[in-house]
Amino acid sequence: MLPMAKVEIIATKDKLDPTLGTLHRLGVVQIEDVRRRGGPLVLPRMILDPATLAQREEIGLLVARLESLLALLPAQPLPTNAADSYKEASASPTQEHVAGAKKILAGIGARAQELAVRRDELEAERAALPRYQATIRKVMPLAAELADLQGYETVALLIERRYSSVLDLIRQELVESLGDQFELNAADVDEETTAAVLVFPKEQSAKVSALLGRENVSRVRLPKELAQVSFKDALAAIGVRMAAIPAELEGIRARLEDLAVEWYARLALARAVLRDRLQELEVTGRLGATRYTFVLVGWLPRRNLDGLRAALGREVGAQAMVNEIKVDKKEMEQAPVVLSNPAPAQPFEFLVKLLALPKYGALDPTPLLALFMPLFFGMILGDIAYGALALLIAVVLLRRFPTGALHSLAQVMIYCGIWAVIFGVLFGEFLGSFGRQTFHIKPLWIERGGDTLTTLLVFAIAVGGMHVVLGLVLGIWEAIHRRSGKELVERIGKFVAMAAIFLLAGVLSRQLPREFLTPGIAGLILGILLLSAPMGWVGIILGPIEALGMVGNILSYLRLAAIGLSSVYLAEVANRLQGMSANIVVGVLIAGLLHALNLALGLVSPTIQSLRLHYVEFFTKFYESGGEAFKPFKQTGL
Amino acid sequence: MDVGVGLLAIGAGLAVGLAALATGWAQARIGSAAAGALTEKPEMFGTMLIMLALPETLVILGFAVAAMIIILLAPA
Repeated sequence: MLPMAKVEIIATKDKLDPTLGTLHRLGVVQIEDVRRRGGPLVLPRMILDPATLAQREEIGLLVARLESLLALLPAQPLPTNAADSYKEASASPTQEHVAGAKKILAGIGARAQELAVRRDELEAERAALPRYQATIRKVMPLAAELADLQGYETVALLIERRYSSVLDLIRQELVESLGDQFELNAADVDEETTAAVLVFPKEQSAKVSALLGRENVSRVRLPKELAQVSFKDALAAIGVRMAAIPAELEGIRARLEDLAVEWYARLALARAVLRDRLQELEVTGRLGATRYTFVLVGWLPRRNLDGLRAALGREVGAQAMVNEIKVDKKEMEQAPVVLSNPAPAQPFEFLVKLLALPKYGALDPTPLLALFMPLFFGMILGDIAYGALALLIAVVLLRRFPTGALHSLAQVMIYCGIWAVIFGVLFGEFLGSFGRQTFHIKPLWIERGGDTLTTLLVFAIAVGGMHVVLGLVLGIWEAIHRRSGKELVERIGKFVAMAAIFLLAGVLSRQLPREFLTPGIAGLILGILLLSAPMGWVGIILGPIEALGMVGNILSYLRLAAIGLSSVYLAEVANRLQGMSANIVVGVLIAGLLHALNLALGLVSPTIQSLRLHYVEFFTKFYESGGEAFKPFKQTGL
Repeated sequence: MDVGVGLLAIGAGLAVGLAALATGWAQARIGSAAAGALTEKPEMFGTMLIMLALPETLVILGFAVAAMIIILLAPA
């Protein structure tokens, strides 16, 4: 974990822009609200003058418009010198960028918008036309002869077959209101739909609409241009439109592409520079001010302090002062956290963050996770072939995802795969027992399953015992480091109770002489008393439960053996099914599928179980979570 | 085969099976609640994973009992 320092930067107000610009480019300071400065001095927040406020509003609007325009255009690769242009542009005055952005928006804003609207309309039409087509095809057989009647209106209805009785009701109501001045034909058109066509004099249109509305029957509504023609003509028109739309869409796409080729890079640059400027203006709300100066308070990694001083001295001059604020122990705990681990452990940082960041100053468990998590994974999976396949998948993922969480996961999988191969050699497993039977692979240690169950279980518990004891030792060290007396007593109590439980287990399993019984019982009582003491009266109940919980913690490590065994047996089932099948191809296929399933389970389950053993059984003994991630004030970039 | 051995096997099976049912029942309830919580707060994934994995101790203890039945009680 990087040591942090809290600083305040004081400069005259005329140096606000260059100071914020420098900090933004450096990206090493997390700017705090000035109210969190601490100490007796309470500064009022900085208030921007009306002109700057108006500029902030204008830039915000421009950024939003540029972003929506960029979303409309197909993404383009940025030119190779884009980073240089960005750096150069960042140094130019804001007004230039505002004017430039306005010019760009005036140049293509309306054109791109118009094309995008037309494209959306065509997409919507393309999606809707097949539905109209299907509907018309359903009702056309009923209405083909009626559609052209002069002075009459035709209405098509589609009703779910299970509700088709509603048609009788409609017919009854039509008789009551129109007499015999209508024709209603209905027929089932498919398994789910009944189509009906109603023909009536045009002057009765209002009455019929009201009636259909009352019965909550929806009529088939066609687009305006198709509503006035017969179904047959409408169908033909839909066919023509459907044939024409793709070419029209292609034309629009090509025009948008042309616009993007010409403008995308300029738009991206303008957005980046203005977004940076907007962030600089927005952050002023966290600064404090006196009549002539502003005060900025923030955290940064201590190693960057000299660099910050030098950069501000160079860019702003002597008017900007950087003072380190003295912070007491309690406030230091609120410092943001930057994990800093050796390269091999770095991929495991995201697994720690998945739970919660450690508090500032607390022990960062990443190296321990990097050491034990792949080891546990290997102990569970323990198969040469599965381990090698895990390595292969990890390599593919590494190439596919050069950065991000999946890249880290792939790196973690590399370590896990290596340990799975190592334990595979120790257990002599290659696709379960397949390697032993076919290639005569001998286990270097033990063959899992059958008679070795006891050995495996004892091994798992021994590993668990050591892991939990290590957690307790780290917990004691943490308590000493934090000078927390209560935690120290509680953790020593846990440690003593745990040692006593080991003694008692040794005596009960006749591995230790009976003379250890009395010290064991005495140790257990002493341990429970110590761990109960900081809890007060509640400790009388909670203390023994805690001690018992630690036994549960260690037994939980049995999963290292149990889940590994389930994988062994599933592989065994696959191998036996292959042998039992009369057809060798079918046998190999079934075995392949089962091994694939086993591999999938074997990658997911050991990962989750190893993590769980760390999160629940190990970390709870020493881990102080609740740290806040370091969020430096940093340019977003292109 | 001795009937006693069969009964031991049934006992061991029940120890794991019933514990697995209990774990499944607990995980189903925790899982649905966790899925709901994660839609609101995706950053709680780690905590939810722990919550979801907690009841697995039940089936592990069931396994321990089954293993004891097989190792300690089954005739050699």
